[in-house]
Amino acid sequence: MSGPGTNTITGTGTIMRTKDLSVGYNKKTVLSLVDLAFEKGKFISLLGPNGAGKTTLLRTMAGLLPPCNGSVLIDQISLNKFKQDHLARILSVVLTDRVSPGLFSVFEFVALGRYPHTGLLGRLKKADKKVVITSLSQVHAQDLVFRQIETLSDGEKQKVLIARALAQEPRLILLDEPTIHLDLKHRMEVMSILQNLCRERGITVVASMHDVDIAAKISDQVILIKDGGIVAWGPPEDTLNKKSVAALYDFEGATFNPNLGSIEIKCNGHRGSVFVVGGIGCGTVFYRLLAKRGFAVSTGVLHTNDLDYYVAISLGAKCITRLPLEKITRDQINEALPLVKQADYVIDAGFPVSELNQMNTELIRYALAQGKLVFTLRKEKDVKRFLQTDSENLIICENEVSLIDKMDSYP
Amino acid sequence: MKEYQIKENIAVQSKRYRLLFVLFAVVLLISVAVNIMVGSIDISFSELFRIIYTSDVTTTNGFIVWKIRIPRTIAAILGGAYLAVSGLLLQVFFRNPIVGPFILGISSGATLMVSVVMLTTLSLGFTALAPFLTTVSALAGAYAAMTVVLFIAAKVKNMITLLIAGLMMGYLCHAVTSVLVAFAEQEKLKMFVLWQLGSFSGLKWSEIQILFIFGGLILVLVYALSKPLNAFLLGEAYASTMGVNIRVFRFFIIFCSCALAGMVTAVAGPVAFIGLAVPHMTRLCFVTSDNRILIPGTVLLGAIVTGLCDLIARLAFSPVELPISSITAFFGAPIVISLLIKRKVSV
Repeated sequence: MSGPGTNTITGTGTIMRTKDLSVGYNKKTVLSLVDLAFEKGKFISLLGPNGAGKTTLLRTMAGLLPPCNGSVLIDQISLNKFKQDHLARILSVVLTDRVSPGLFSVFEFVALGRYPHTGLLGRLKKADKKVVITSLSQVHAQDLVFRQIETLSDGEKQKVLIARALAQEPRLILLDEPTIHLDLKHRMEVMSILQNLCRERGITVVASMHDVDIAAKISDQVILIKDGGIVAWGPPEDTLNKKSVAALYDFEGATFNPNLGSIEIKCNGHRGSVFVVGGIGCGTVFYRLLAKRGFAVSTGVLHTNDLDYYVAISLGAKCITRLPLEKITRDQINEALPLVKQADYVIDAGFPVSELNQMNTELIRYALAQGKLVFTLRKEKDVKRFLQTDSENLIICENEVSLIDKMDSYP
Repeated sequence: MKEYQIKENIAVQSKRYRLLFVLFAVVLLISVAVNIMVGSIDISFSELFRIIYTSDVTTTNGFIVWKIRIPRTIAAILGGAYLAVSGLLLQVFFRNPIVGPFILGISSGATLMVSVVMLTTLSLGFTALAPFLTTVSALAGAYAAMTVVLFIAAKVKNMITLLIAGLMMGYLCHAVTSVLVAFAEQEKLKMFVLWQLGSFSGLKWSEIQILFIFGGLILVLVYALSKPLNAFLLGEAYASTMGVNIRVFRFFIIFCSCALAGMVTAVAGPVAFIGLAVPHMTRLCFVTSDNRILIPGTVLLGAIVTGLCDLIARLAFSPVELPISSITAFFGAPIVISLLIKRKVSV
């Protein structure tokens, strides 16, 4: 065992593979035809709706359930050929089962993980104690060492459970929903701990996950499970897109955007429609705020590499676009004018004006000419300079939230 | 992380364990001496020393010490130790703090078989076995009950269901025993009722030898199982992935706890609460769930508690002797209830 960063093992070769595997309980198959290969030192996430069979697959891979069909192989050898204590030195688990072992200090509890390495009575040698301490420091839990297990919070307990799994000195760790029930701080901490295990210790981590966005950012491979089979597997960059994620979870009211790496909740627009004159990232806050408050959003004219564009699309907003680095022309403005005309309110997101998006100010002047209320984030002096107007319908606001609040107060 | 801190901490802890073990051993020795000296005829310490040193069985006091007090005391402390360890094993196995040999129908199974032997004429064919008949039948009953419970367990694989199955087994055995009692002859019934009340009196040296040798061997086996027992505290799934062969381990646990409980039930009748309460008391004293500490701890504490209970049973309303179970219940029930209320109970 070595400390963090002393030897970086790059993932080469396969540690575990499954062949024609079907898994389930009592011969009732939950998931079939699973052919997967798990590479050394990689972070692999299992994604899928509840009840898809993620836990069943993990338990079968850990040897806790016999496969209904096919086999699980470690280093080309079938799992059922392994002696149990031999397997325990290769593979360890962190499950969702409630663990309440009773009166143990954190040190004693993590030391239980030395089981496959100690003698008949489990007496700890000096080397064993060292492994326990290293395991604890690897999960940033060295301060908990003398605490009683029962007094730990959920987050601390989860870290200690991971330390126990590490004390087995495995090459492969299987985790079932490692971040469930944890607060945000511990969720992030646990994920970064797991990621470090892959990067620095060369341990293969396989975890079932429920946060697609976190899984996308952290995994080397994702495996999508649904309707009794593997839908797709590969790097998240190839595998996770708007369509595959929507199909995996049967989303309707939300969209996964791989460019943003996050899930946006769509607006349904029962409160009326708003046109946002945005661009250069200034519109993003408004799109999300408006979607949250229940407005239908249309926006333009956006370049298709703009952050505003990705968010607007994910939220299901109507969007008038222009290719990147090309000047917005009269053609796009003419396309946008009907949307402005239909809108109940118009928002000027206060984007910086340049030669490329100069024409967008035209949309604001048009709206004012139509007698619509336009809410703007610009300062008074900038209004004259960029918009060349002093209409009474232009309402100057201090920040995004006060703008929406002001807009809400108008009938 | 300072390594010496951990070293220091472990040293402090093991020092405390050693102190407690020495303390318990001393208390046990004292209670053994008191058990032998005190009774309807009090025997002074110097007199006791003389009787033991000269192996005197000819005087009245010598007869009382060697033939009555010492066998009874040894039976009580062995019985207490075995029942307590049996309870500890079952509590770890079922990961449930409120099980004991009584709850799971082991004691009831043993009682049923003993009642068959004592109350009917079925035993007439086995005259050669006569001295060991109660022991053999109690063990047979204990294993028969556990086999049925485990057979159900294999089908359901759920701890709670297993517990309920054990409870139902207990009721069933009790029902059959009641039927046998209803039809039994008056003379046989009296013997059975006396046995069923529970007492450590009247054991022959041959019986104590069996109890000591077989029980001792099983205690050694149990101590050798303390490592998988610890792993089992995390649950079956974790234990299995740590390298415990669950099927073999299950077999050994059941074998040992049934053997211990069955043996004691055979010689002393069904004794309640020792198997349930003593493991908790030990956990609270040592503040650990580590079975490497708890097993010797429950042996000592089980012996102490049962020895004292037997003393009280003899002395409280002397010359009337109370059933041992009534005393253990007076001690055990309030302890268990207060533990439950404080929610300090864990396996």
